[in-house]
Amino acid sequence: MEKAFKELGELEGEAPKLFGVSTGTKLDEMFWKIVEEDGRFVKKPLGGIPYLSVLNVTGVPDSGKSVLAEQFALKQADAGYKVLYITVESPASFLYTSMRAKASYLGADFERVERNIVVIDASQSDELREDPKALMDTMAYAIREKGTRNVVIDSITGLYEHREVMARQIVRMFFNFLKRWRQTGIFISQKRSAQASDTAEAAGGLAVAHIVDGSIVLDKVLIDNAWKSKLYGLPVGSVLRTIRIDGCRLTGHDTRAWVFEITEAGTIKIISPLSEFIGRRG
Amino acid sequence: MEVIRGPVAKRDIDQMAENLFHECLRILGGLRRLVEYGRLTWLPSLAEAAYVILLKEEMLKTSREIAETLGITEQTVKNILRSDVEAVRRYLEGEMEKVDEHIAGGIAKMAYEKMKRERGVFIKEGELEALGVGWAMDVIKRLRDATFPLNPEELRERLKGVRIDGGSAEELVERLEKPIESMEELLRELRRLAEDR
Repeated sequence: MEKAFKELGELEGEAPKLFGVSTGTKLDEMFWKIVEEDGRFVKKPLGGIPYLSVLNVTGVPDSGKSVLAEQFALKQADAGYKVLYITVESPASFLYTSMRAKASYLGADFERVERNIVVIDASQSDELREDPKALMDTMAYAIREKGTRNVVIDSITGLYEHREVMARQIVRMFFNFLKRWRQTGIFISQKRSAQASDTAEAAGGLAVAHIVDGSIVLDKVLIDNAWKSKLYGLPVGSVLRTIRIDGCRLTGHDTRAWVFEITEAGTIKIISPLSEFIGRRG
Repeated sequence: MEVIRGPVAKRDIDQMAENLFHECLRILGGLRRLVEYGRLTWLPSLAEAAYVILLKEEMLKTSREIAETLGITEQTVKNILRSDVEAVRRYLEGEMEKVDEHIAGGIAKMAYEKMKRERGVFIKEGELEALGVGWAMDVIKRLRDATFPLNPEELRERLKGVRIDGGSAEELVERLEKPIESMEELLRELRRLAEDR
């Protein structure tokens, strides 16, 4: 019988290396590792989300979750790494249009991007959306045959519509699946309520945030009164967007809320920590 | 951008339910045993339980969804899913006179665990022939109800007339060096001996 425990030292060979997988945004600098240099411990940016991590990207509607996931996929594909993109909400043709526009704006080679992204269109297939094991078989095929290294599921919540009681079980199955196939993954997780909208609380179901390696929370504030307008230095009627790493158990990270904008070309541009943004205006 | 628009392999839940139902019957010793014990009335419950277990474990359906799909009450679904396998096993083995569990549910759970362990796949005879291992189907059919380990005499008797890669199976059985503990081991050994021949 295979022994059910291992001594810590035995895990050295199978432990993943700690380095970043670029998202093509300033998020890459918000994860870090501590290294020893000349007898001193210094903080070094990881250069991306931790390799082989599986992160929840969560937020209320129109907070920029899919935009971030697409930018991550585009950046990786442009760098020559294969990405498996599972679209559960929006048909694949719309994803194509969106990617092409972003690639042009970001100066990416769209031919290379096209070659390196494999899409599973679950939005148009009830079988893929309703049967998690059929979807996992299909993902396994794509990972094995196409050699993908990264996976985006947009959205994981779309896989348990109307049955949130299954949320933890389904999220855990896909989390374990990505670990087994050694993929770096992003799960888009819809936050259905604006309550505590700047946290991962109840995002995509009760306590699912505990299953994944970490969460990135996107939020937006509508400037709808004079007080907010003065605080943020923005005109009434505009929108302030924030992004925050709401925990990651694999590596050190910035814990502050950062202000970002979605550019006219539909890309994410992280500007500055919210505290500095407000201070600068003050 | 390559787009995959559907599952790479169809999962036929109805076929799986039929297989699971048959596995339940095998656990009970076959249909004949049910006739002998006057338990043919268990069949609808076993079919129901087989579907419940599969819809839960393979399709991750909620109890309510399963109840709606099968047209039974949610409470029945819950009773099947909560059935204590160990208690049902002891009841079937005669260690307990009565059991306060959903018996068919316990049997279906046992059968599902067995199927999962053995990772059975549904494959047609013609496909096995195409793979060059059509003989394996003959061996499996002949030994379907056998209890391992098998003694060489019984094995020879049961495999009489079976041809493996153009040679006689009986001749290969003569060359088996140790008792055979399982079907997998038998198939592996027969293949090895046929290749050596």
